[in-house]
Amino acid sequence: MQVEISNDKPAFLGKVTASVTHDIQNVLAIIKETSGLMEDLFLMHQSGNLENIEEKIGTCIKTIKKQTYRGVKLTSGLNGFAHTADTSQGAINIFETLERMISITERLFKQKGADVSILECKKACSVDTDPVLFQLIAFACIECLIDNFDARASITLDIQSLADQTAIQFLYNDDTLTYEDYNQQITHSDQWIKITALCEQISLSAEVTADFPGIFLFFK
Amino acid sequence: MDNIKVLLIDDEIEFVETLAERLELRGYTSKIAQDGESGISMIANESFDVVILDLMMPGLSGLDTLRQIKEIDKALPVIMLTGHGSTKDGMEGMRMGAVDFLMKPLDINELLEKIKLALNESLKG
Repeated sequence: MQVEISNDKPAFLGKVTASVTHDIQNVLAIIKETSGLMEDLFLMHQSGNLENIEEKIGTCIKTIKKQTYRGVKLTSGLNGFAHTADTSQGAINIFETLERMISITERLFKQKGADVSILECKKACSVDTDPVLFQLIAFACIECLIDNFDARASITLDIQSLADQTAIQFLYNDDTLTYEDYNQQITHSDQWIKITALCEQISLSAEVTADFPGIFLFFK
Repeated sequence: MDNIKVLLIDDEIEFVETLAERLELRGYTSKIAQDGESGISMIANESFDVVILDLMMPGLSGLDTLRQIKEIDKALPVIMLTGHGSTKDGMEGMRMGAVDFLMKPLDINELLEKIKLALNESLKG
């Protein structure tokens, strides 16, 4: 199992990086087309073929600004994510780590039609763990729910700081599922075997409970 | 190149809207679809001279969209767009019947050249 796990981490880092850089390509493509349009408008205006370009130029500037912010958010997120691989053991803020991972992998999940979000966690929950492996497990939990149920639904992550334990709920938002159904679908999936095996490496535990459809992760 | 009708299919709305406007300024008629399903529906209901299709979209993927476009109109030229750093998916698109592919960010002149070539090929065919 150790061999498989060591191969999983680079694959996960590669998958996330590929998705984010694809998004960055889109941002650059929009900026390039928008600046190209500004140039087109300016040249036509100069040659007297187009008047009143101010409003259009204003719209172009807004688009470029918006895409610049989007690009900065993506590169900052990717940079933060990449730095989680600096150490194989260290203290992480669970909310900050998961929020960033969800933010930069949004496109991968949207690709499948799923909407993933995380509930704001006021209390700073910190754990000492392998940051990449922790994110890989969280990612695998989300993928497991998307792949085994109707992907066109929403998944909510909720961090719960209990007295002696920190836990994360991966809630699949569907009230119609019965415990028997979702327990069977999740625990009989290939992803579940992987999730439980990976959890053992960092003292995490994964469970499916009758309380909610989804996966419950907690630090042992 | 007047009256050439182009359908742009891409989920990045600001990208397609801007590209459509740039094509309009050059005398083309452009229409936009934000996903594969709407693009296919538009092709089934009106005629286009060329389709510019993004490979990676939510829902129906670019390659699945291409497959369905070819089922409706085998002769309709499709140029694929890819934000990937490799040509692998673009080549796969060509194997499935796309006439060419371009990497994002685009060069408008390169796109215009590929549209012209695609239309010439289409006329010959």
